[in-house]
Amino acid sequence: MNRSWYNLIWINKKARLGIIIVSSFILIAAVGPIFFEDPNAYIGTPLLEPSFVHLFGTTGQGQDVFAQTIAGARSTLFIGLGTGFMIVLLGLIVGSLSGYFGRRIDNILSLIINIFLLIPGLPLMVIIAAWLPPGPFSMMGVLVFTGWAWQARVLRSQVLSLRERDYVNAAIITGESNIKVIIYQIWPQMLSLIMASFIGATVYAIGAQVGLEFLGLGDVDKVTWGNNLYWATNDLALLTGSWWTFVPTGLCIALVSFGLTLINYGIDEISNPRLLSERIVKSRLPNLFNRNGSTPVARELFGK
Amino acid sequence: MNTSVKYLLKRLGIYAISGWAAVTLNFFLPRMMPGDPVSVMFASFRGKLKPEAIEALKQTFGFTDEPLLNKYISYLSHLLNGELGISTAYFPEEVSSIILSSLGWTLLLVGISLVVSFIIGSLIGMIIAWRRDGKLDSILPPSFSFISSFPYFFTAMLLLYFFGFKLGWFPIRHAYNSNLIPGFNIEFIVSCLHHAFLPASTLIFMGIGGWMLQMRNNMIGTISTDYISFAKSKGLSQKRIMIWYAAKNAILPIITSFGMAIGFILSGTILTEIIFSYPGQGYILFQAVQAQDYQLMQGIFLTTTLSVLAANWLIDILVLILDPRTRK
Amino acid sequence: MGNKILDINNLNVDFLSEGASIHAVKDFSMHINKNEIFGLVGESGSGKSTVIKSILRILPAPGVITKGEIKFKDQDILELDESELSSLRWSHISVVKQKALNSLNPLLKIKEQIIDTIRAHEKIKTKDAMERCNALMDLVEIDRNYLNSYPHELSGGMKQRVVIAIALALKPELIIMDEPTTALDVVIEKEIILKILDLKSQLGFSLLFITHDLNLILGFADRVGVMLEGELVDTDTAEIIKSGGNNPYTTKLINSIPDVSDYSQTKADKNEPELIHVKDLVKTYSRHSSFFSSDKFHAVDGVSFNVNKNEIVGLVGESGSGKSTISKILTKLIDFDGGQILFNGKDISCITKRRDLLDYRKKVQVIFQDPFASLNSIHTVYHHLSRPILIHRSYDKYSKKQRDQMVKKEIIAILKEVDLSPPEEFLYKFPHEMSGGERQRIALARVLLVQPQLIIADEPTSMLDMSIRMEILDLLKSLQVKKGISILFITHDIASACYLSNRLIVLKNGKIVDSGIVSEIINNPKDKYSKLLIDSCESGWFINQ
Repeated sequence: MNRSWYNLIWINKKARLGIIIVSSFILIAAVGPIFFEDPNAYIGTPLLEPSFVHLFGTTGQGQDVFAQTIAGARSTLFIGLGTGFMIVLLGLIVGSLSGYFGRRIDNILSLIINIFLLIPGLPLMVIIAAWLPPGPFSMMGVLVFTGWAWQARVLRSQVLSLRERDYVNAAIITGESNIKVIIYQIWPQMLSLIMASFIGATVYAIGAQVGLEFLGLGDVDKVTWGNNLYWATNDLALLTGSWWTFVPTGLCIALVSFGLTLINYGIDEISNPRLLSERIVKSRLPNLFNRNGSTPVARELFGK
Repeated sequence: MNTSVKYLLKRLGIYAISGWAAVTLNFFLPRMMPGDPVSVMFASFRGKLKPEAIEALKQTFGFTDEPLLNKYISYLSHLLNGELGISTAYFPEEVSSIILSSLGWTLLLVGISLVVSFIIGSLIGMIIAWRRDGKLDSILPPSFSFISSFPYFFTAMLLLYFFGFKLGWFPIRHAYNSNLIPGFNIEFIVSCLHHAFLPASTLIFMGIGGWMLQMRNNMIGTISTDYISFAKSKGLSQKRIMIWYAAKNAILPIITSFGMAIGFILSGTILTEIIFSYPGQGYILFQAVQAQDYQLMQGIFLTTTLSVLAANWLIDILVLILDPRTRK
Repeated sequence: MGNKILDINNLNVDFLSEGASIHAVKDFSMHINKNEIFGLVGESGSGKSTVIKSILRILPAPGVITKGEIKFKDQDILELDESELSSLRWSHISVVKQKALNSLNPLLKIKEQIIDTIRAHEKIKTKDAMERCNALMDLVEIDRNYLNSYPHELSGGMKQRVVIAIALALKPELIIMDEPTTALDVVIEKEIILKILDLKSQLGFSLLFITHDLNLILGFADRVGVMLEGELVDTDTAEIIKSGGNNPYTTKLINSIPDVSDYSQTKADKNEPELIHVKDLVKTYSRHSSFFSSDKFHAVDGVSFNVNKNEIVGLVGESGSGKSTISKILTKLIDFDGGQILFNGKDISCITKRRDLLDYRKKVQVIFQDPFASLNSIHTVYHHLSRPILIHRSYDKYSKKQRDQMVKKEIIAILKEVDLSPPEEFLYKFPHEMSGGERQRIALARVLLVQPQLIIADEPTSMLDMSIRMEILDLLKSLQVKKGISILFITHDIASACYLSNRLIVLKNGKIVDSGIVSEIINNPKDKYSKLLIDSCESGWFINQ
């Protein structure tokens, strides 16, 4: 790829939308809480419907839903991105060792990866989180412990296939040390996958975090998106029909996850040249293009 | 020995090791945590159990001064007998009986939603991958993708709010009408289905996207293979190629991935049950967390893990039957 | 007009891209007469596969046909709609592709794949369809029982024959074969070509045969066409093409076919010491033909040979002979299971420590087959060539600036040695900015910078255009003489092995079947297989038996 990364990703419409969504939320998370004093402050009658005074209404304890939604972004995104980063780092190291050295190391590490993949995530997260004291590090620890294996497997299989390339063997035969081969020959060829892994891991981290907090296993004193939903259920939002207490937060979570997924779609389309070819023909010859039909004959193209 | 049998035994070995790892983790977890959770756990019993009973519990689960190995072995032997302890949330019921009575409801939800979402999702995925004429393909995948970005319980909340609360079409809690007595009569079964509709729909709705996307991506991969272009050049009908050549090959890896998916579906089911107060594993897990009922939490962890492992093994058998390349 | 079965006029095919389109096929015109064999020859990238796929209109995106007509008998294929095309395909024109191994659906039985071909074009009862299947299997000489098998239960050669059988199922008038024997070894290739010719005389069809192997096609084609960069530059009868054709490119191609009798007369100095000594080498793999069964497969089955200082030894073998395995063992990329290998008298299986390994690597280097794959696409020439220098020379006492200068000087010197000029221009190029020949020279430069005693050249020219193979071989030859390096030249092409080497070793199925100095092997081959290999260098070889 000669064109710079930015151009390539920005041009892809899906990725562009995703980047816009995610950056907006990061901005809100960083800057938003400045505009509010204390999201936990009691500011009005509980369970008020949305109005001009309180844009999203009030919670079951009389707090401002809008403030809580904005404030919740910071913790959720911070932990989500941080966890995503650690998962990819761990997955990359384990996957590279396993895929590169093969044989016994691979057998052992693969077995460990498989065990972590088999044991169901949520129940495991619950029992670990239940024993740990609440706090961001506990949360990140639990999420990384239960979620690293998936990316490790994905990254491992890529390393495994790249390992067999001639240029890797050529570097080894030239005398290059194993570490340098992994870092300079294999990892650079995996950049788009590493990026996609990071995004996937972040999506997982956000979802799992929210799930744990919803169960009441997060740090209930803090304002986070998951906690917002936990309190909403506890305050019987559904039974009283107070949809505004949970819909804004839920939508925010969905939008952020969706935005991240869009970016991943974009990355996928870029690295898959065949999809690109089909789109090009479809855009130039919309009437003639039939995916599963015969090669189109476009005599009018000649003489361009 | 038949190679297929050898393979299944090897897979069984992996599951056994995983099960052992889970069980062992369960044992060591309370002992590894900062603070003194063990005391916390037993503090919650005080006032509810006689001191002798507490001592017995300590013996059962090894919170005594015996050497670690003995404690571990006695823990394992208790497990094999099906003794998982006494619950505090549902005191004085035994953990094992609580789990058994709720397991069925969870299996019902998981079973229905898995089968329905897989079938519908794969069909849709197959069709939009094959046609890809723009309209369906540009609407459906992103829409389902967006829906899959919702947390499971959020979707559940939305469905419950609209269809249960506002429109009142479906009941908003429990597995069956509390006026009825459970039994194999039509009235009861209908009530069960009525109550299960919204939770199952949540799971199906959330799940279709995943199967659809996988099938669509696999189909796209299959369509570019040599045997598909050979089939086209042979002049076979579009329908035949789509189903017997492309879809048949595309679906195998998905079935193989069932195993991985089950753990994920289980998590979603757990969260959904809470919203609907549906008396499955998820609901009692929530009660256990609220009540700091560690015995019950750990019991649920063990049973869900074992169920997932067993399901994986059944899927291995299924793949063996479906893919001729794995037999000889 | 009445005799032509296929008449292509001014065919133009483009590949659309985000920028300008790539004009892949330019004003292509040719015809095939009834019952004729037409050979279409060209190097990779010349456009021959594109032409074939356009005939049946199965060219995938982003291919688009932009001009011309393709007449089959009297219908223009480019004017037909989907349903007419469907009925044309296979019942009148069928295609056998290269690597037919992948043309079969892995999840359907053989008989189902033959029957659905027939059913797509005619209504037929199952019983009659089965009879047709049986007849087809007899035609290609495969046991009828295999009709109930799945593709993975058949060997490569058998799968190729099944695909040929399917191609014949509807008795088409024109069969197009796109490199059907390229991936197969010479013995099976001969069988299949003879079988095709036999079937043609039995059933009477026209044959369009695409290949890059000029030698092969000149032996049995009636007329031959030569393609270069999307254009048909020459077409004539086989005899005329053989004697040079009407176009300088044709002449160049004909001349670049190495002549087996053109071997180096210089014998190696018998007094030179042994550099590498291989004794009873064994390497077994557990081959998983299905997921779980493992037969033991002997890739290398008791091989003994040696390479002396200052000589070139040619190791000749086809795919599956074990030659690549030997290369990997000698470079210590994989272990071996039996026997002994001594390098300069020392046992190489004792080399375990990192320092000893580095020392060994200094002495034994490799040039790979695929020049694109052996250079990491994200690094420049400067990176690729600076690594061996920085690893093997101790430049620690110099400052970074001095070191960079010395490295650059050495790189420029080596670029001159491999005839890449002006060297400064190549320093910062990426692999995809260079041609196959240039990349292979860079690979050679990288190897030379290590200053090895033995270079293992693993099929260094087989992926290069025929016209520049000779240049690379000549370069290897001159560098060997100049620097006194030994070369183990691994190849499937006995002619180029004869051209370059002092001694030859012939490998089949993991065993050595013949060895000796080149003149001896050529004039007095001891084994039937080596004789077959030598004979295959003559065009028309498989007919004169």
